[in-house]
Amino acid sequence: MTDKADVWQGTLALMVLKTLETMGALHGYGIARRIEQTSGELLSVNYGTLYPALLKLEQEGFIASEWGVSDNNRKAKYYKLTRTGRKQLEKEAQDWQQTTAILARFLSPSEES
Amino acid sequence: MKTLRALFLRLGGLFHKEQRDRELAEEIESHLQMHIEDNLRSGMTPEEARRQALIKLGGVESTKESYRDRRGLPFVETFIQDLRFGARMLRRNPGFTAVAVLTLALGIGANSAIFSVVNAVLLKPLPYENGERLVVVKQGAPRSGFPDVGFSVPEILDYRAQNRSFDALVEYHSMAFILLGRKEPERVQTGVVSWNFFDAFGVKPLLGRAFRADDEKPGAPAVLLLSYEYWIRSFGGDPTVVNKTFTMNDRLHTVIGVLPPLPQYPDENDVYMPTTACPFRSDPQMMANRSDRMMNVFGLMKPGVSVRQATSDLNGIILNAQRTYPDVYPPSFDVAAWALSLREQLTQNARTTMLVLLGAAGFVLLIACANVTNLNLARMVKRERELAVRAALGAGRNRLFRQLLTESFLLSLAGAALGLLFAQDGIGLLVSYVARFTPRAREIHLDGTVLLFTLAVAVVVSLVSGSVAALDSREHNIGNLKEGSVQSTIGLDRRRLRNFLIVSQVAVSFLLLIGAGLMLRSFLKLQHVDPGFEPENVLTMRLNLNFTKYNTDNKRRAFYDALLDKLQTQPGVLSAAGGMTFPLIGMDPMSNDFTIEGRDSAQSLPIGDFRIVTPGYFHALRIPLFEGRDFTRQDRPDAPVVAIVNRTAAHHFWGTQDPVGKRISTDKGKTWIQIVGVVGDVKQYGLDKDVSDEIYIPLADSPVSGVSLLIKTSVEPMSIARRIIQQIYQIDPDQPAARVQSLEQVRADSVAAPRLTANLLGLFALLALAIAAAGIGGVMALSVSQRTHEIGVRMAIGAWPREILRMILSQGLVLTTVGLVLGFLGAVGLTRILRGLLFEVTPTDPLTFVGVGAVLAIAALSACYVPARRAARVDPTVALRCE
Repeated sequence: MTDKADVWQGTLALMVLKTLETMGALHGYGIARRIEQTSGELLSVNYGTLYPALLKLEQEGFIASEWGVSDNNRKAKYYKLTRTGRKQLEKEAQDWQQTTAILARFLSPSEES
Repeated sequence: MKTLRALFLRLGGLFHKEQRDRELAEEIESHLQMHIEDNLRSGMTPEEARRQALIKLGGVESTKESYRDRRGLPFVETFIQDLRFGARMLRRNPGFTAVAVLTLALGIGANSAIFSVVNAVLLKPLPYENGERLVVVKQGAPRSGFPDVGFSVPEILDYRAQNRSFDALVEYHSMAFILLGRKEPERVQTGVVSWNFFDAFGVKPLLGRAFRADDEKPGAPAVLLLSYEYWIRSFGGDPTVVNKTFTMNDRLHTVIGVLPPLPQYPDENDVYMPTTACPFRSDPQMMANRSDRMMNVFGLMKPGVSVRQATSDLNGIILNAQRTYPDVYPPSFDVAAWALSLREQLTQNARTTMLVLLGAAGFVLLIACANVTNLNLARMVKRERELAVRAALGAGRNRLFRQLLTESFLLSLAGAALGLLFAQDGIGLLVSYVARFTPRAREIHLDGTVLLFTLAVAVVVSLVSGSVAALDSREHNIGNLKEGSVQSTIGLDRRRLRNFLIVSQVAVSFLLLIGAGLMLRSFLKLQHVDPGFEPENVLTMRLNLNFTKYNTDNKRRAFYDALLDKLQTQPGVLSAAGGMTFPLIGMDPMSNDFTIEGRDSAQSLPIGDFRIVTPGYFHALRIPLFEGRDFTRQDRPDAPVVAIVNRTAAHHFWGTQDPVGKRISTDKGKTWIQIVGVVGDVKQYGLDKDVSDEIYIPLADSPVSGVSLLIKTSVEPMSIARRIIQQIYQIDPDQPAARVQSLEQVRADSVAAPRLTANLLGLFALLALAIAAAGIGGVMALSVSQRTHEIGVRMAIGAWPREILRMILSQGLVLTTVGLVLGFLGAVGLTRILRGLLFEVTPTDPLTFVGVGAVLAIAALSACYVPARRAARVDPTVALRCE
């Protein structure tokens, strides 16, 4: 466990949005598992921080929730992306790519000098 | 946008907590079950599966906690929690709470009340639609000694035709007429106005319609608008009064509407009529005579025009007229015209007094605030253990700070609520007081602005008084738990803080007491001014004869003669007389220039106040006759015209010569008036005003239609008022008498404004003194109770009780003295503001300063005496054991 990196604040929201875009409606446990799997089990989602993050996204109107029934007949709360959430995802993904591109340029060995 | 949305949802999150908690629990439960099932599928034992799932989820409770924080607004929730806790703490200390709330209520209430006045009178725009564009237009010859002469009809027409700055120039004058058609004849004060007068002010009638241009055409049917106050007073607010008819000046007048309740300026009128309905204003001679000035003019400036531009426009017009009519505007009448903002005219008398009162109320609040801070500090000492326990249990410093601040907010909110109740009670009195300064007094209400102001004051007070105590607790309490003895001696800086508060309370109280003392001294001086007449046992009432019935001098003269003869014989009447005006009533006399026989009249002429009186006027008012004789019944138009001057005029115009036998003329020598007597000076315009040059002339020579009766009685004057009025009805049943009052009352009214100002300031000062004294006493008592041990030691090693008493008293005395010195310095600087309100008292009146200092010192020392005596009675054996 200890060698796994915790998901750092701020990126969790982006990962949740992306997961919901890919998977459609999903419950909290499913979102967490999916993020861990996508990361190739390199990331560990702190389930305790997931629920407040979901609530925040819901309050901001990016996701919506409703009670439903899971595959194995268990009552669960399902989250899905809203239209504004889709736009937000697009915007945040773009921002993130830009940031990483800039950082990459900083960190890559310089070719000119 | 999204933050706003989230904020609303989070506000919503404050409600239905249980249901939401249940949903979260279910969600987490299903999460856990799914995880366990997954773990089972991957081959774990049931126990292991559950254990791993729980580990991965982390602390369920802390998850729930952070979820809840996100769901609601933790800030608000903490606040509500703090409020509940604070209310509980305050309930548990009813003594402290009662004293603090009452102190704050007095301070805040005083401010709310005075602010409601300042807001209504000085801050709010005029309640007329076009308020800021309205001006008062004045005309006069200030350089020739005529500050304000009014307007004649031809002049008004000139201004109206030639100006470029005004949307409307409307005229106004006020007269008393008799209204018939009700049970008794009624004297109604009537505003005579242009048809568009109310349109210019932007005033719409409450009932019926306003005047129209047709109403002011010559020969139009006569119409009336009632003022709101008259409508309520005389008709009980009956809406059917519209279209009713009444007889005035022998004509039928139809009521067409009722005006809304608005300040009336310059006079409070009962009814309004168009200019053509006024028998004086519509007289052809009056309308043609350029020098017959009896009108006032108001202007509605065009948008964007300044008062200065309007003034130069007006002045150009009158200078033009001066070139055209040089005989009407001779060099001795150096005419000018100007405009003044109506708003300033309405409120200029009130400004200084109201701001002084606001300052005084602010000082009271400052003292109250200092006192509550001190109470809070004292309480902190007792709460140290509680705070230390809470800190030990994990309450952060900021969390404790917030808690204490919330408590103090609760306290000042309660104070503000109670203060508003006080203010509500006081406002009725304030309205009648402020009405002596400005017609805007009627606009004073506890409205939204005042409530907002009160709330703001409460917040500021709670921040100031609360944060001092809370900051102080932050310094001291944390980590105090293990010291065990919480009743340790007070820290040096805390004692310094408390002493500072006491000193400032004494200093500010001193300021307030000085202000009140100066006003009181000034009022007492005013009260002792010799008015030059005796107001005791004089009954006065105003008669305005019906113009159409008594339309000649002879008829009016006959009425007055018959009436005075009849009154003279009434039981209880010592002497009966009449005058066009009488002292201190605030009516303007006729100011006129005149020629003195044998002197060069090419220079600018002397000016005097001409007063019309009947024989016996001086006797009824006990005004001494120094030279010559009083008027008699023989001084009639068929006899030589005579006059009596006052001493000031005699000295002024004739120096050491005897004026009796000298002659003056008001028509440049065509006819001469012989002076037959010299009487004593009388304060006509107010007890604080100078005496002007007065020339009395007999009523028989100028029988005006408005006369005040002055009846010297041998009994209480008001007790025979009804009988006197009956005598008037016997001569003419249609003749009403108005403004029935005793001359004593008139005199009291003339000094009512300074008296009430002194009273109000005195009230504030007493409040301040009481609060400050209680504060000093309280702090000394606390200090004694904390020094019990030390005092015990001192006594055990041989100190006498008297020495202990002196020690505590001198501690109080030092604080008081420092406060007095600071207050003295402040007062010397600040009382200059009062200069304009004081009469014959300098703002640094030594007597007031010494007296106030003594009063304050005595009050402070007596407040210290109780705790000091308790200290002196400390039993050393008990004191030493108490630790």
